[in-house]
Amino acid sequence: MLPFLKIMVKNLLKGPSTDPFPFAPAKTPKRFRGCASHDESKCILCGICKHVCAAGAIQMRAAEDGSGVEYVLWHNSCVFCGMCAHYCPTGAVTMTDNWHLSHLAEEKYTFCETSFVAFGECSQCGARIQPRPQVIVDQLGTRSPDRFLLCPKCKRESQVKHATDKNLIQLREQQ
Amino acid sequence: MAETYTLPVGPLHVALEEPMYFDIKVEGETVRGLDLTAGHVHRGMEALAMHRNYFQNVTLTERVCSLCSNSHPATYCMAVETLAGITVPERGQYLRVIADEIKRVASHLFNVGIMAHLVGFDSLFMHAMEVRELMQDAKEGVYGNRMNLGQCTIGGTRTDIDKETARFLRGQIEALKPQLHELYGVFEKDPLIRTRTRGIGVLPEAEARRYAVVGPVARASGVAYDVRRKAPYATYEDLTFEVQSDTAGDVHSRAMLRLREAVESVSIIEQCLKQMPEGPVKIEGMAAVPAGESVARSEAPRGELVYFLRSDGSDTPQRVKWRVPTYMNWEALQVMMAGCQVADIPLIVNSIDPCISCTER
Repeated sequence: MLPFLKIMVKNLLKGPSTDPFPFAPAKTPKRFRGCASHDESKCILCGICKHVCAAGAIQMRAAEDGSGVEYVLWHNSCVFCGMCAHYCPTGAVTMTDNWHLSHLAEEKYTFCETSFVAFGECSQCGARIQPRPQVIVDQLGTRSPDRFLLCPKCKRESQVKHATDKNLIQLREQQ
Repeated sequence: MAETYTLPVGPLHVALEEPMYFDIKVEGETVRGLDLTAGHVHRGMEALAMHRNYFQNVTLTERVCSLCSNSHPATYCMAVETLAGITVPERGQYLRVIADEIKRVASHLFNVGIMAHLVGFDSLFMHAMEVRELMQDAKEGVYGNRMNLGQCTIGGTRTDIDKETARFLRGQIEALKPQLHELYGVFEKDPLIRTRTRGIGVLPEAEARRYAVVGPVARASGVAYDVRRKAPYATYEDLTFEVQSDTAGDVHSRAMLRLREAVESVSIIEQCLKQMPEGPVKIEGMAAVPAGESVARSEAPRGELVYFLRSDGSDTPQRVKWRVPTYMNWEALQVMMAGCQVADIPLIVNSIDPCISCTER
């Protein structure tokens, strides 16, 4: 018993080592993986978060009128692995440090984060394309901002036009 | 001959409060034989793994067991990477080793803590858990969760340890070292612990080899088998550590061996933090897995962990099969328990550090 007595007295003098929660806030580290959060203004609807989610906590339902996608993140299904946030190419899904997830049983089917992500429109023909939020244009579409906002068909045409224009100029120069 | 009768132990509260059922034949207070019945927490995880894609399975394998929750995805990722021909960047390898060793320290401290609890020395149990709390805080601060680190992913690791985090981790380790040393002294010298655990549950070397036990159970019986040394993976080849072994093979020697291993793990983490090169922690993009088969193995806190993977080239594995250390160890309970007292059963069961959720999955 003797070797332990010293430790016991030391621990006794140290006082409680538990947090006094709920009377004071419990300390939460900066990197804590809590409740996931979805920012629709950054979402490009690529669906990788849904692909890597082992728990099936993410649903993407197409709106009936075809105007966009309803993005649902179920906090009760989520296992806080953070794979969605890790693989999200635009940082739309993040893990917050919020671990306050207690709620009433009657809120069980509404305890989710629902957001609506509208499809983008081709700046030329108006066809439906993946969303092109401004943050993403600034981040990924800086090389040719005009073409970044086109649908695949218009993009192809504009590329062909660009190439032929270039060829014509070259031909003219040669002549 | 005195009359024997059968004593049911379990399925709850044998040692770790995980369900395992024993039919123990006793003669008075002495154990004469036992039957093990498993299958109470079968969750069908291998079947679930066949219904999820490679990336989802990283999360799934992490949830096989809480105490070796880094060894499972790390070994699974190793199997996938072998098949897909991915080379994990060196920094990623080091980060995996750090995560593995932090988990090992916490797992070993948990086991010796439970041993103190089973002896009836609850204040020592509380203290061991308090010491372990340093590692739990380290996990929470570095990875964001106290048990499921979420560190491994196919092709590398998910979080990097930057300067600030490294400083925090070093601080936790520095605080742990003297406490671990002190704890070792208590477990080594305390008369209560010694009386209850020395010479109990002995597994001689010949029997250890016959039952092919792995991990601390094998090493405490004189079989110095450690996958980290025998078949080095990640960066274990570049790290200096001593494979702990003992010859006593009893409950006490297994606990002491775990504490010594925890000390080694602390030194491995320190070496990693020092040697780790700068650079990427994972590969770019998401690799596809071709058709084929692969096997990976690693040293989990409880012993050798083997993953087998077969792919048909789709995004979902055709078969994932794993063999966990406890599966090899629990048959050896037949030898360890022969002739022991009924009161020692939980202590002996705990000394193999059984992980039922791993074994039955």
